[in-house]
Amino acid sequence: MGKIIAVHSYKGGTGKTLLSVNLAATFAKQGKKVCLFDLDFRAPSLFAILKLENAECWFNDYLNNTCDINKVLIDASNKIPSKGKLFVGLANPATEAIRDMSAKDRKWEMRALGRLLYLRNALLNDKSFDYLVFDTSPGLQYSSINAIVAADLVAVATTGDRSDVDGTRRMLRELYNLFEKKTGIVINKVLDYNSKNRQEELYDRIKNTYQVPLLGIVPCFCDILRAEGNFIFAQDKPEHPFSKLLDEMAKKIDANEVR
Amino acid sequence: MSKDEVLGKKPLVILEKIKENLERLNEKMEVIIELQRHDSKDVPQSLSDAPLDVMTLLSMPDHLRKTAMTVCRAGRATADEISQQTSRARAVESAYLNQLVLMGYLKKERKGRKAYFYADKES
Ligand SMILES: Nc1ncnc2c1ncn2[C@@H]1O[C@H](COP(=O)(O)OP(=O)(O)OP(=O)(O)O)[C@@H](O)[C@H]1O
Ligand SMILES: [Mg+2]
Repeated sequence: MGKIIAVHSYKGGTGKTLLSVNLAATFAKQGKKVCLFDLDFRAPSLFAILKLENAECWFNDYLNNTCDINKVLIDASNKIPSKGKLFVGLANPATEAIRDMSAKDRKWEMRALGRLLYLRNALLNDKSFDYLVFDTSPGLQYSSINAIVAADLVAVATTGDRSDVDGTRRMLRELYNLFEKKTGIVINKVLDYNSKNRQEELYDRIKNTYQVPLLGIVPCFCDILRAEGNFIFAQDKPEHPFSKLLDEMAKKIDANEVR
Repeated sequence: MSKDEVLGKKPLVILEKIKENLERLNEKMEVIIELQRHDSKDVPQSLSDAPLDVMTLLSMPDHLRKTAMTVCRAGRATADEISQQTSRARAVESAYLNQLVLMGYLKKERKGRKAYFYADKES
């Protein structure tokens, strides 16, 4: 059966959206059937990044139980030059929708978790999706914790920033662990990642600091900033080192090597 | 109930009733034992219809969270089914499940000889 991956982080701007989009695209490139969901209801961004036409419904509507999941999914496979399939479920970027989502009560959040869990049946079982990728809001947001609980694997993005390291460690202990979630760490925006010494030193330090499996180490690429979010590296620049790193990550996840 | 019924027509039915009542009593005893085993101070009692959301799950003691999470994933399950998922004894799961019912997080429904547990999403 397929898997649900939640991409999460303690702090904002760690690269969750970049990683989610490129991981989903990489799986699709490798021939998988994938669906990427925007669960960052506070600051929806897949809508702008993927430049898609409107779907019949937003993912918000699915969680509100006013719309079937099939009306949410947008087929973006034409963007991926392979036999794989890439679908997308978008968060509604309208200000009113953001306000609405931030004012939900516990009961609603409980039902939303039920609907996220139901995707396992509706998409992984019935529609034989290989992967669902959840892009989330940073920190202890309700929607993000729901995504974590529903997921099989949490990919945790973090940078070298002191506050980020500290918060990430706390979340490992007091959030992912309590839910007995499989987690893999992605260290993003790493500087001076060229020398062998630096790589080994970093590798050891990460092992000691987090004591969970390492999904990947991603250097800071000026090319990514230069692109200004205008293309998806995994598909538009398949030979770029960033795309190669994502190939590796996808293979690790696929081979179930994140333990 | 007339003396006739008790002695003549329905002794079996009555025995069944007694057995059922004993089983329920047994479940309640298990809950009491479990409550004593764990520090019952941090277990709020008898909240009726408390939503079983993720923040609530986070704040629960570990042993109950595991059971509650398994019910969430299953949607609806018996103590037997939950114990298969958690690899803990059926009696233990039964106690935790009944405790979660007392706390208002789960609902319990009897179908014949089986009791099903689920998180109530409707009320
Ligand atoms: N390895 C990298 N090299 C260079 N720039 C990067 C790298 N990773 C992410 N960025 C840039 O950092 C910024 C933040 O990335 P992104 O939006 O993916 O983070 P996020 O975790 O989704 O943020 P938020 O918490 O606000 O949702 C973007 O401009 C992105 O292009
Ligand atoms: Mg983001």
